Amino acid sequence: MPFVVQSDSLSKRYGEVLAVDDLTFAIEAGTITGFLGPNGAGKSTTLRMLLGLAKPTSGSATVFGSPYDQLETPALRIGAVLEATDFHPGRSGRDHLRMLSRAVGLPDARVDEVLSLVELQDAAKRRVKGYSLGMRQRLGLAAALLGNPDLLVLDEPANGLDPEGVRWLRDFLRDFASGGRTVLISSHVLAEIAQTVDQVLIINHGRLVVESTLDELTARVGAAVRVQSPKLDELADALKREGIVITRSNDHALLAQGTTREHVGDIALAAGVAIYELVSESSSLEEIFLDLTSEETSS
Amino acid sequence: MNQLRAELLKIRSTRTTVGLLLGLITLALLFTILTCTLSPGSQLFTEQDQISLLSFGSIAGVFSALAGVMLFTSEYRFGTIRPTSLFNPNRTRLFATKISAGVLSGLVFGVIGEGLVFSIGLMILKIRGVSILMSGANMTELLVGAIIGTALWGAIGVALGAVVPNQVGAVIALLAWGFVVENLVFGFLPKIGRFLPVHAADAMMGNVQVKLLPGNVGTLVVVGWAVVLSLVGVVLLKRRDVN
Repeated sequence: MPFVVQSDSLSKRYGEVLAVDDLTFAIEAGTITGFLGPNGAGKSTTLRMLLGLAKPTSGSATVFGSPYDQLETPALRIGAVLEATDFHPGRSGRDHLRMLSRAVGLPDARVDEVLSLVELQDAAKRRVKGYSLGMRQRLGLAAALLGNPDLLVLDEPANGLDPEGVRWLRDFLRDFASGGRTVLISSHVLAEIAQTVDQVLIINHGRLVVESTLDELTARVGAAVRVQSPKLDELADALKREGIVITRSNDHALLAQGTTREHVGDIALAAGVAIYELVSESSSLEEIFLDLTSEETSS
Repeated sequence: MNQLRAELLKIRSTRTTVGLLLGLITLALLFTILTCTLSPGSQLFTEQDQISLLSFGSIAGVFSALAGVMLFTSEYRFGTIRPTSLFNPNRTRLFATKISAGVLSGLVFGVIGEGLVFSIGLMILKIRGVSILMSGANMTELLVGAIIGTALWGAIGVALGAVVPNQVGAVIALLAWGFVVENLVFGFLPKIGRFLPVHAADAMMGNVQVKLLPGNVGTLVVVGWAVVLSLVGVVLLKRRDVN
């Protein structure tokens, strides 16, 4: 089966800045993919090239096997939200959706359906300038859903949402993907989408850093043991002598990578160093994410 | 056709166009009533005087061009160019749709603007007992020329908005051109100035002013301006990324 989304050596240059640099990845149907990277990493530029809004400097980006703008009525197969603010403030939410649905020949009844789907039916006739950010996010999502698409592309959809909104979005996306449909969702905060996505693409400075499932990503860095001691330097030396990689955490503790509590305890005992705290700790996804992107920055 | 319906809904669903229409109606009524009522009869004796008076409805061209400018610049200003482009990724078709919408809205502006000035102006003149010297042919040329000219200004406005997507920039460019640059050029170099769009559009209404082009040539010149600006607009629209 062909990939739903495919980026092949995709690059985009703005003057001296290489915003996207030789980016190659593919996304299979029925997955929720997190497209991650710090602000300015090139995520939005990549999505815009995928959606035919920006032209690649080189390489290609295809959706359902074709460049977006060569698909027959792509809005009926692909729904996208790029900004939460893409509305005329003086137009009602319903009219915003009506003008889009008319452009692709959908009836007004579909507008009312998607308004119910995102729970905006009560505010439909109000002007968008009176909407909260969460309501605007939902209206954007409603626009993306008009064509009952098989692929949903969302650029930072959780930005500005309160925890309830984030949970609503998560449930919604899970529901959407459960029918075999595909979601590509970008974020600069991994934690925001960690509970939603199956796999991640991490980019930094326009380059792909990681393409893997979430499980693989977690396993890649592995667990660590957190240890506190009044003699941190001696303990650190003892752990290093055993070939254990350590990092110092902010609160004057050590993180011993890829080992167990028992092993660290034995080494401390042999070195004659007291231990005040000894805890197994899975690296949080956010730490992994920060590590990966900061490594890239420093390289 | 679907996309044209979508564009027309865009125009109707905000207050901008309604505001422009109200502005046009107010200005047209104010000018016509005051001028036709207060002008001394001696200024209304000749056919030329009457044509000049009744051609004021062509001011609708300014409003029509402004409404046209908004068709693109509003999309950029409020970011709706993104969903619009996603639902209509063929930029040439998008441009053609907006030009059509601009011409249609321009026709409405023209009918309302010139229609008001013409009907109320004639009525007041008749009430004042001024004999109408304009021939039927002249009246038709004035009415049709003003309305078609206003519709073409809608197209020019749309094209200008595609060339200059910044709304403030496009509006200032339009007004500065229409009210300052063209008048200066026409004032000093009428042989060149008459080929510029405002004066060519004036020529479409018949013998409004000496030194203008013949009506049919004026029409061709305005169409030419609309086509050239459209070509530049569509090329830029296709080249420019939507960010």
